[in-house]
Parts: sequence; C-alpha cells; structure tokens
Amino acid sequence: MLKKRLIGVVTIKNGWAVQSFGYKDYMPLGKPECLVENLSRWGVDEIIIQVIDRSKKRLGPDFKLLSKIAELGLDTPLIYGGGISSIEDAVEVIQSGADRLVLDSIIHDKPKIIYKLADHLGSQALIASMPMSYSKEDLLWLNYRDKKTTKISQDVYSLIKTGIISEVLLIDWKNEGKFNSFNNELKDLLKKNIDTPLIVFGGISHKDQLFELYRDPSISAVAIGNFLNYGEHKIQEYKNTLTDMPLRAAIYRDTI
Amino acid sequence: MSKLTIAIVDYGMGNHASVTHSLRSLGYRVIISKKKEDLNIADLLILPGVGAFPAAIKLLKQFDLFNYLQLQASKKRPIIGICLGMHLLANASYEHTYTEGLGIIPGEVIKFNDNKFHIGWNTLKASTKDKVFKDFNDKQFYFNHSYRYYGPDQYVRGLAESTEIFPAIIKYEKVIGVQFHPEKSQISGINLLDSMIKGVVNA
Repeated sequence: MLKKRLIGVVTIKNGWAVQSFGYKDYMPLGKPECLVENLSRWGVDEIIIQVIDRSKKRLGPDFKLLSKIAELGLDTPLIYGGGISSIEDAVEVIQSGADRLVLDSIIHDKPKIIYKLADHLGSQALIASMPMSYSKEDLLWLNYRDKKTTKISQDVYSLIKTGIISEVLLIDWKNEGKFNSFNNELKDLLKKNIDTPLIVFGGISHKDQLFELYRDPSISAVAIGNFLNYGEHKIQEYKNTLTDMPLRAAIYRDTI
Repeated sequence: MSKLTIAIVDYGMGNHASVTHSLRSLGYRVIISKKKEDLNIADLLILPGVGAFPAAIKLLKQFDLFNYLQLQASKKRPIIGICLGMHLLANASYEHTYTEGLGIIPGEVIKFNDNKFHIGWNTLKASTKDKVFKDFNDKQFYFNHSYRYYGPDQYVRGLAESTEIFPAIIKYEKVIGVQFHPEKSQISGINLLDSMIKGVVNA
C-alpha cells in the first residue's frame, strides 16, 4: 500500500537555512546542507528545500546549493523550489539532483509554461506551491514576492484540474512557525475546488494535528519545517507516535 | 576482482547526481556520457529518468542512442532502466501521445486506471524465486510516476499495489527495469541496486 509521507522542509534565505515565521520573520539555523543531511539521516520520506529569495531577486535557481547537496550523495527524495522561471531552469534543477520541483512564482507569472514543463519532465515532477489564507469564505492566494493576496483565478483552478501537476503544497502562511496552528478550513475549502492530492504545511507541530491531517483522504503528505529543529531525531519521534497511520515506519541508520 | 564500470546514459533527462553517488558509494567506477565509445567500455548501462516518455525518446534519437541501446540489448549487454528508464525499455507508451519505445522488453506503458499519480513509498512484492530480488520482498521503495508498465507476466519480477496492482520490476535476459527509484530509496534501494548490478553482470 502506498504510504502517506512526512516531509521535512528546509527554508533558505541569503544562503542560510532559516526558521520562518508567518512569511516575514526569519531566524538563522545554519548551513542548509547540514540540515538536509540530518533530515535524510533521520529517515524523512522526502525533503523540500525552498529558497525564498531567488525569484524575488531574479537570481534563478540556486545551483551552487544543489551542487553542495548533490555532493552529500543523499538517498532521500529531494524537492526543490526557488527561482525557477523557465523550462531550462527546471530541467537543470532536475539534472542537478532534485527529483521534483515545487513551483510558486512561475504559476503567477507564466501559468501556461507549466504545460510545457509537464511535457518535458512529466507531471509527477511538478508540485504547485500555494500559500493561502481565507477571508469571508474565500480562499486567498499569496504572492509572496509583493505580499499581496488574490482570489485563485479560474485559470489556475483549471490548470490544476487538468492533472498537469501532481500535488498542491498548501501552505498556511499566516500560521507558519506557530505551534499547533494549521487552519483546517484552508484545506477544506481548497478540497471543494480541486481533487489534486495535498501536501499541507505551516503551523503543524503536534501529533494530534498530524493524526487528524493524515486521516483526511485528500492529504498525501504533511510537511514540517521549524519544528524539526527543536530536537534531535524528530522524524523518528513523530513517526513513533503515528504508528496507527499509513506511514513508513521510523528508520534508524547506523551513523558510525 | 577489479571495479566494475557503470555508464549512466546521459540523454539529457534524469537525475544523474543521485544515481552517480549511489553507485560510487557502492564502490563502482561511474561514467556519465552520451558518447558510444564511453558507453562501450562499461560493464553495465544505466538508463536513468525523470521526465516524459516522448521527450525522452526524442532525445535518445537526437543523440543517436535509440538504435545503439537496442543493439546493446541484442548483444546481451547488461542494462538497468530506472523509472522513466524502465518505461523506455517497453515497446511503446501512451504518455501524452502514443510513442514507440526501445522494444527491449515486450509491453506497453499506460496510465493508471483512475488517472492518479503514484507518489511516495510503497511495499515491493518481489519474486522470491529470483535471487537478485528475493531479499527485497516486502521492503519499501520510493515511487514517483503516473504511468505504468503493462505486459506479459513472464517479464515481471516484482509488483506494487496502489489502486491497482502493477509491475514494479521487469526483467528480460540481462535487462532490468525498475519503476521505483532505488537511488532514492535509502538503505533498501542502495542494496537492491547493488544486487541488480551484480546479478546481471555476473549472469
């Protein structure tokens, strides 16, 4: 049986891994490659690295970082997001060691290019990042570069519904970094409009929350960022409290 | 015994970095190339793959590797195809549009019945009669695909189940295709990769 996934998220700004709070406050954690290596060693199911200043500064994907991570020779699936604005960028990111791409700015700027990306890389490699909030029963989609929110257009819903992206990374950006605060209304509202599997992220820290989220058939994965840094071996710790859920069991690697 | 040399066929699609590191961690010498003179000296060819079938076939033809790979299989050279690389071994695929494949292992590549993706970790039901795979029965591997192999049972060495049961490993003579990513499947994946390489090279 296909397992649901527990994903570790590493957020990177100015070359440093950071804790991110509500998409506005950041605290440094250290070298991204060290965090990624730890997550892999702890047996996380997938790793998302999101480089949050690449699109904003028009720097393109962070190939230097990808190269450093590739040198680690990790055997955990890697999802990359940040600065992808063309097919060439996307192909090079995959060739540099990523297995899948998380797309954000490009969906705002050039939604039609997603079809071409799917032609080249296959839809299984494409994830749409959607930082959301809601107001008056309407979902609001954040463009993180200018911090403006808009309703999701029918074009974007249509794009997702065609099946050319495999999963939506639904981010509760307002609650990002806050303990036990993910707003279930967001996923419930989004589910009314699309049936694409959801990866949920933002303010997810407590095992009871994870239980509830994993029970939702529309959720294929739960992603956790900051809270994985508040202790060693957090992945195993979470998994050991979720043994009733359809998750891969915790693994323990020999580190000597 | 001297180190085996593994050539990763560089046709412009695929995550070479991960496969390369996995192979080097196992002690193999690795070449990444699209040049036939490089590929010719390898003990085994690996067809990696993250991408769509028609684009991959187009690139194989563009680099004059399509006929080359067919010829190598007919010469019984060991080949391992990973994910899209496995699909390329089949006769054809219906991904996006009907496209002819290498035809090295009979069968076709079709969409899942429910049009869903199959992404994540799943349990392999491996053939316990084949020594290459028997130790990996019930181990978990990382899958990332929305199309699957459909072909004669005689070539199937492993199955996985999502909303339907589908082949996860196929084999014909010295050619193996795996639907999942052994290079991204942590300890089980690396061990299986090693078993497959030794199994087909020494066969």
